[in-house]
Amino acid sequence: MDAVIRAIFGYIFLLFIVRVVGRRPGRQMTPFEFVLIFFIGGLTLSGMVGDDRSLTNALVQIVTIAVMHFLIAWLRSHSIRFGLIADGTPLVLLEKGKWRKHTMRKMALQDDDVMAAARDKGLERLDQIEFAVLERNAEISIIAVREKN
Amino acid sequence: MSSQPDTEHVHDSVAQVDNEIAVGEDLEFQRKWWAFENVVWVVLTLVLLLDLLGAFGRGYLANATLSAKDESVDVRYERIVRFKTPSILTVDLGPTAVREGKIRLWVSESLLTDLGNQRVIPQPLSSVVGDGGTLYTFEATDHPTTVQFALEPSKTGTCKMSLGVRGHELLHMKVFVMP
Repeated sequence: MDAVIRAIFGYIFLLFIVRVVGRRPGRQMTPFEFVLIFFIGGLTLSGMVGDDRSLTNALVQIVTIAVMHFLIAWLRSHSIRFGLIADGTPLVLLEKGKWRKHTMRKMALQDDDVMAAARDKGLERLDQIEFAVLERNAEISIIAVREKN
Repeated sequence: MSSQPDTEHVHDSVAQVDNEIAVGEDLEFQRKWWAFENVVWVVLTLVLLLDLLGAFGRGYLANATLSAKDESVDVRYERIVRFKTPSILTVDLGPTAVREGKIRLWVSESLLTDLGNQRVIPQPLSSVVGDGGTLYTFEATDHPTTVQFALEPSKTGTCKMSLGVRGHELLHMKVFVMP
């Protein structure tokens, strides 16, 4: 019973903190993200496991996390509102040659973050971007300016 | 059961930007989320400050002392402790606590059970269980002496405990054990 409660609390708390800390773009994790993920994960683990190092405790907690994950995924697919809370919403960063300044500031993004994603698409300059969107998985999608016929 | 896959026509269900690309951006929700995040950061900062002050144990606010009016005993302890985390309760015994070269210190059962007493320093001459607690007997001189209890709480929540020298005032304390 105790193990299940600790696992549920740890899972929800971790989800909440990671959601609040925010998304940073990029397919590769920077050292900042490495530190964040491993440190928070490790610290949560010590509280969740407590002094019960048994296989039973580990199995119960793994099953609890699996059930919680399924539950969150189910809620996300059945409620748009819950999906927004759990994952956030895609955000337009650049729209037809104009930055969304407030969004960029609030998401702690710089123009070079957008340019890094643009280079990945084979673009060379910012003015070649029609739209840049910060996706829910923290990647930046780039839609290039269409060539006029 | 039909072998045909379950299908549905595609609708424009994802919100578009400039009626061009389907992004699904919900800026109204995001603005509310940013406002919520601001509140969360304030709360997290307060939690950190309270922790630094010791409101969750192991700090200035957690430390407490209690003295008997007859000066037989002073107790230094933590009023906020943490589950399964070591904590020391120190009992300073005054000269009036010594009788015939011995000190008889009674502690309530909660100190041994809920607060998880691991050991008594120094080792007592004897310990007798009874009256809802344990009576420890120590050999002592006339000089003030100190006895320590190494605690490791095994139960969360508020815990009441009492201790005192036999024949003197009994001190009552409340300790909160953080999960």
